[in-house]
Amino acid sequence: MKNAFSLFLFFALTLFTSLPTEGSEYLQEIVRANDLYAEKHYAQSAEAYESLIHKGIRNGYLHYNLGNAYIRMGKIGPAILNYVHARKWIPRDENLEANLKFAIQQSQDKIELPAPGPLSTLFFWSNDLNSSELIYLAIGLNFVFWVSLSLWLYFPDLKIVRNALLCLLLLSFISIGVKIKSESDFKPAVVLVKRVEVKSGRAEDAVTLFQLHEGAMVTVTVTHENWLEVRLNDEQKGWVPKNSMGH
Amino acid sequence: MKIFSGKIKALVFLFLVLNPVSPIFAQNISVTATVDKNSLTLEDVLQLSIVIKGTQNTPPPELPSLPDFRVVSAGTSSSTQYINTQRSVSITHNYQLAPMNTGTFVIGPARVRANGKTFSTQPITIEVQKPSGQKTTVNKNAFVVTTLSSKKAYIGEQLVYTFLLFHRVDAKNLNLSLPFDKTRFHKEELGEPKSYIKVANGIQYHVQELSLALFPLEKGLHEIPASMIELDLLHPMRTRSSRDPFGQFFGQRTRAEHKILRSEPLSIEVLSLPDGAPQGFANIIGHVNISAELGKKNLEVGDTTTLTVTVAGNGNVRDITFDEPDLKGYFKIYPDKPEFHQTVRNNQIEGKKVFKFALVPLEAGNRTLPKFSLPFFDPGKAQYSVAQTQPLSLNIKPSTTKEDLNLVQSSQQNAPASKPEIEILGRDIFPIYTELDKFQNTRSHSPAFLATSFGSPVFLFIISAFLIKRQKRMKYDVAFYRHRNAYKNANQRLKKMSGLTDSSDLSDPKEFGRELSEILREYVGNKLNLQGKAITAEEVETRLKEANYESAEATRKLLEKCETLQFAPTTRGNTKELLSRAEDLIKLLEKQS
Repeated sequence: MKNAFSLFLFFALTLFTSLPTEGSEYLQEIVRANDLYAEKHYAQSAEAYESLIHKGIRNGYLHYNLGNAYIRMGKIGPAILNYVHARKWIPRDENLEANLKFAIQQSQDKIELPAPGPLSTLFFWSNDLNSSELIYLAIGLNFVFWVSLSLWLYFPDLKIVRNALLCLLLLSFISIGVKIKSESDFKPAVVLVKRVEVKSGRAEDAVTLFQLHEGAMVTVTVTHENWLEVRLNDEQKGWVPKNSMGH
Repeated sequence: MKIFSGKIKALVFLFLVLNPVSPIFAQNISVTATVDKNSLTLEDVLQLSIVIKGTQNTPPPELPSLPDFRVVSAGTSSSTQYINTQRSVSITHNYQLAPMNTGTFVIGPARVRANGKTFSTQPITIEVQKPSGQKTTVNKNAFVVTTLSSKKAYIGEQLVYTFLLFHRVDAKNLNLSLPFDKTRFHKEELGEPKSYIKVANGIQYHVQELSLALFPLEKGLHEIPASMIELDLLHPMRTRSSRDPFGQFFGQRTRAEHKILRSEPLSIEVLSLPDGAPQGFANIIGHVNISAELGKKNLEVGDTTTLTVTVAGNGNVRDITFDEPDLKGYFKIYPDKPEFHQTVRNNQIEGKKVFKFALVPLEAGNRTLPKFSLPFFDPGKAQYSVAQTQPLSLNIKPSTTKEDLNLVQSSQQNAPASKPEIEILGRDIFPIYTELDKFQNTRSHSPAFLATSFGSPVFLFIISAFLIKRQKRMKYDVAFYRHRNAYKNANQRLKKMSGLTDSSDLSDPKEFGRELSEILREYVGNKLNLQGKAITAEEVETRLKEANYESAEATRKLLEKCETLQFAPTTRGNTKELLSRAEDLIKLLEKQS
C-alpha cells in the first residue's frame, strides 16, 4: 500500500513540475504588437505577432489578431489562413467567425469552409470545443465516474448514476477520437499568392485544371516534395506548388 | 504427399497465369497517344487516347500543357487478351479536348510513370479551323444565333440579349456558358427558356431560346463575347429493320456527336446620359407612371388615413425612393416599408413599387397634399421627363372626443405598423483582442499529465475499494476478524505478562504456565478460527500442520512446556525464557500465516 501511495505521489509531483510556468516576456511583446495595430502600423504589428508564433506561442487570439492585421494590410490569403488556425483553439468565438466570413467574402473565389463530416455532425459538440477542452471534460468525467463507482460500493442504489456517468465518459473519449480524426482528415490550406494554377500533375507543364485566387481555401490530401495535392470539392482536385499555399 | 505437391504446383501456375503483375508475363511497356482526327473545327471535340500496353498498374498520365484546349477526362478502359498462350494487358486513358482557338497546335508528349521509368508519347500536330460556312446555316444539324435588342443604348437602359439554339436532331447534355463582363453589364434573367419549332431556309428546326436582360454600366464601345454551348447531338442510326418487331420496343438507336457551338461576338455602343437632367434626377432610366391616392379624405383630428404612392413602369423601378412628404407640421407621418413587385412582359422587365404613408392630422381644416414628382430619363424618346401625381385634398374636422390627442397611442392603434429596415452602411471586421489573460500559451498535454489525470482516480478507487471491502469483511467475517487481530491480541497479552513476571501476580510458575498456554492456544485458535482454549497441544500441532504452518511442532513443544510448568512448576528462571520463546514463536507463526 505504501509503495502504491509513493507511486501516486511521484506522478502527482511529475504532473506539477511539468506544469507550464508562463513568462511575461511574450505578453509584453503582445502589448507592443497590439499598440502597433492601434496606431495603424499593421505591417509591423503583423511582424510582431508572426515572431511570437515563430517562437512557439500557440494561442487562438494571437492568430485572430494576426488575421486582423493582414486584413488591414489587404492580404486576404494570410488573413484567412490565420483565422482558420485560430479556430483550432477558439472555435466558438463569434468575432472570429464574423471576421473569417468577411475575409472569405473579400476573396475572389469566396470558398467557404467545408461542411463537417457525418461523424463531426453526429458528435456536433466536438466542433464547438477545442482539443484541450475535450480532454479536460474527459478528465472531469473520469474523476466523477470513479468517485461514483466508489460511492456505489457503499450505496448500491447509485447504479443508474454510475451507468450514466460511464456512458458520458465513453462519449467524451469518442468525442476526443472524432476530434483527432476530423483534424487529421481536414488539413486546410489557403492560397497566399494572387493566383495559382492547379495542375493535373506535379510538373509546371502539366495541364492546368483550374485556377485559384488568393484566399481560396482547399484541403491538402497529399504532400510530395515541393508539391501539394489539394482538393476543392468531391470532383475538383489537383497539384499546386507548395510555396504558393499556406497550411 | 505427391498429390499435395501437385496441387500446389497447379495453384502456383494459376496464380502466375492470372496475376496481372506476374513477372513471368512482364511485358515490354509501351505508351502511345492517338487522336480521332488531326483536323477539326472549333465546333468539334478531339478524342485523345493514351494507351499504356504491358501494364495496368500505373498512375494516370501527366498531360502536357494545353492552353488552347479545354480538357475533360472521358474515363479509362482496360483490356486483357489471351492469344494462344500469350497474354497482353493494356489500359487506355481517354480525354476530350475542346479547342478554344484556331490554328495549328502540337499536343506535346504525355508522360507515364511505370515500373520506376518514365515513358513519353509522341507529339501530335492538330489543326483547328473555323467551322466551314459559319456565317450561313445551310444544311447544318445545329447552330446557334445570338441577338441584341439594340446596337446602341444608354447607360442603365435595358437591353435584351437572346440566345437561340437551332437543332434538327435531338440534343442532350446541354451546357451553356454566357460570358459577360460584370463590370460593364448588369444581368437579370427573363424567365425560363422557351422551346418551339421554327422553319429557317425551308428546314424545320427545334429552337431553344433563352433571353437575358442586360443593363450597361459603362459608356463606350463594348463587345459581348461569343456564347458557347456544349451538347451531344443524337443522330439516328438505321441499323434495325423497320420490320423488326423488337425495333419498336427497343426504340431507334442513335449515335451521339459531341459538339461545341459558338455564337458570333456582338458589339454595342453605350451612350452616357445627355446633359440637362432635371432637379432631383436619381438615375431612374426607363418609362414610369406615378399615381397617388388617399384612404380617407374626410376625417377627424387624430384619425388615420393612408397615402399610397404607386410607381409603375419599366427600367430600374426598384431603385426609386421617396422622402417623407413635407406636410409642414399639419400631419404626423409614419412611412411604411415600400413593396416592390417585378414582372417580365415581352422580355421587358417591369416593376411596380408602392410607398405607403400613414397620416395622422394634427389640426382641423382643409388641406391639400403636395404633388409627388419623379424625374426620369426615357431612353425611347432620348429625353428627360418628370412624372407627377395629382394634388390630393383632405377635409379634417375637429375631434369629437374631448381628450387630448395622444399621438403615440394613436399611431399604435390606428396607423399601420411601420416595418423599419436597418440599412447596412458598411462592413468591417471586429477589432483585435487586447485582454492579456486571453493570450496564455496553449501547450500540448504531457503524457505524465494525462497519465496522472486519468490514472489517479482509478488508483484512488482501488485504494478506497480495498479499504471498503476490508472494512466490510471485518464487520461480517468473524474468522477474518479473528485472523487479523490474533497477533495484536497475543502480543498485547504477552507484553502485559512480561511486565507482570516480576510482580507477585505471575510469580507463580503454575499461573505463568497456564496464562502463557492460554495465550498461545488463543492465538492459534484465532488464526485458525477454532476454540483455542479447548484444544490440546497435539490438536494444535495437527491443525497447524493442516494449515501448512512450519512451526507446528515447535508450538506443540512450547505448549507442552507450559503444561509441564503448569502441572510441575520449576524455577522462575525458566518463565522468562519461555516468555521470550513464546514471543519469538508467535512472530514466526505470524510470518508463516
